[in-house]
Amino acid sequence: MNSLNIYLFIAALLFSLGIFGVFQRRSLIGMLIAIELMLNAASVNFMAFNRFLAPDPIVGQIYTLFIMGIAAAEAAIALSIIVAVFRRLRSINIERAQELRG
Amino acid sequence: MMKWILFLPELYCLLMAAVFFGLAMIGRPNPRRDYFAALFLTGVSIVVCLACVRLEGTLFFEAYRVDLFSQVFKVMLGMGLFLVVCLCTELNGIEERHHPEFYLFLTTCTLAMMMLVSSVELLTIYVALELSSYSLYILVPLRRGHGIDVEAGVKYLMVGASASAVMLFGLSYIFGVTHTTYIVELIRVLPGVITTPAAIVGLVLTLSGFFFKLAVFPFHFWAPDVYQGAANQVTAYIATASKVAAVAIIMRMVALSGGGSTYLVHVLVTLSIASMTLGNLVAIVQKDMKRLLAYSSISHAGYVLIGILSMSQTGYASAIFYALAYLVMNLCCFLVVVKVAYDGSDLKIAQLAGLHRRSPMLAMALMLAVFGLAGIPPTIGFTGKFLVFAAAMEKGYVTLVIIAMINATISLYYYILVVKAAYLLEPDEEMDRLAVSMPTKLLAGALVTVMVVFGIFPHHLLEVARAAARILM
Repeated sequence: MNSLNIYLFIAALLFSLGIFGVFQRRSLIGMLIAIELMLNAASVNFMAFNRFLAPDPIVGQIYTLFIMGIAAAEAAIALSIIVAVFRRLRSINIERAQELRG
Repeated sequence: MMKWILFLPELYCLLMAAVFFGLAMIGRPNPRRDYFAALFLTGVSIVVCLACVRLEGTLFFEAYRVDLFSQVFKVMLGMGLFLVVCLCTELNGIEERHHPEFYLFLTTCTLAMMMLVSSVELLTIYVALELSSYSLYILVPLRRGHGIDVEAGVKYLMVGASASAVMLFGLSYIFGVTHTTYIVELIRVLPGVITTPAAIVGLVLTLSGFFFKLAVFPFHFWAPDVYQGAANQVTAYIATASKVAAVAIIMRMVALSGGGSTYLVHVLVTLSIASMTLGNLVAIVQKDMKRLLAYSSISHAGYVLIGILSMSQTGYASAIFYALAYLVMNLCCFLVVVKVAYDGSDLKIAQLAGLHRRSPMLAMALMLAVFGLAGIPPTIGFTGKFLVFAAAMEKGYVTLVIIAMINATISLYYYILVVKAAYLLEPDEEMDRLAVSMPTKLLAGALVTVMVVFGIFPHHLLEVARAAARILM
């Protein structure tokens, strides 16, 4: 159980799920969750590389902490814009936002 | 050692942001006060950036490097911010009570981009990039009452957040392969392992985050919607300053590979050709001026990539020169867009009809800017394209240059359509002369002079660009 490859595999799986979710989901909240999955995949990667390979065992953990903080800020901004979308369109379904074309 | 002086341009930007934050908190809306405060503060910021241009040193445990490369880009960013603020005399696209916040986010975004061009550590790059993106995410939906603004905002947000997540995943692989996060170390270690799949996947994924900022194919599809949906001044900022910062950081990341990877060159060549061709072909059918400029920006991203993928000192220098040329030409275009659509609406190309009679000065500025974008001598756009193509020829990429030349010819068609609308078409109904104020005329005159003079005598600028590019090697 305790090998680098397993963690890398889990991270790649999370990342693929995230990419799939961004393209598949029609709800803005669903897309936001998918993006968070991708960020978490990067965190897992950083922690795994840090644990098994890196000479300085702090770097990966600092990265993960920063990613968590930035993801929180991103969620705040995304949710505020989603609220603005909901007020305007009475829906958070991305298919309702189709005015810009060409 | 007075190390804080190295950080002066950024500190000054932070101060500006604090001032606008204060203005946003107090009292009733006062657009004149906000505008003059912004004009004065950003004007001083150019002086600050110019004063710091010769500084060198490192800060924050080597994570932040101040050198000629970063300082040249900081001057460009300061100039871009100042010129965009100059366009804000009638900021009708944004509600009056939101004006201080508009300036606040412009300055935080500039601050972040200044940090981005100086960062030499992966986490610093990531944080700076996110700060600049978040400011833009908020700026886009600030537009007054259209409904398309929130749609553009949410599209920009979703595409941008996904792109930065992809970039972060790429960064994690680079960290895993090289066990370091400092660019200085990476330049030493990465060329040795560049042939391993993990390294190349990491680098390509990382670059995709920056390609999103530059609107390179396949990360381009936000550009037309965001350009159209955002207020005209915000679009001007996204189209100029943020592109300059993206060019800088892409150069830093590509320089990491040390030129040793043919695979990376192939990826960049493909993306460059795809961006140019797609941007130019789709631009032909556009009716909206800002959408047209969006597609033209996608094709220009392709031209800049030609300079970068040459991975030589001349290549990087030509890309820096091209970024500056693009900044000036595009700002000149947006000056006309903002002034003709003074009520803050979107500008259709047909609405340009009769511009040469409504305002000869603006019509001339538009013509020269558009000819510059098309690459017609003696404008700065021609010189930029010439330098980029020459750098690629030096490396023997003949096919690429021929494709780029064909693309430049295609682009001539839709640029000429714009000039035709402004000079030859007559409007359906008689329209009043545009009231163009004296400062606007001066600004248009100055931009035109810069475009022509530096198009004919590029030597001084090119010397600076060469010196800045030398630091990357």
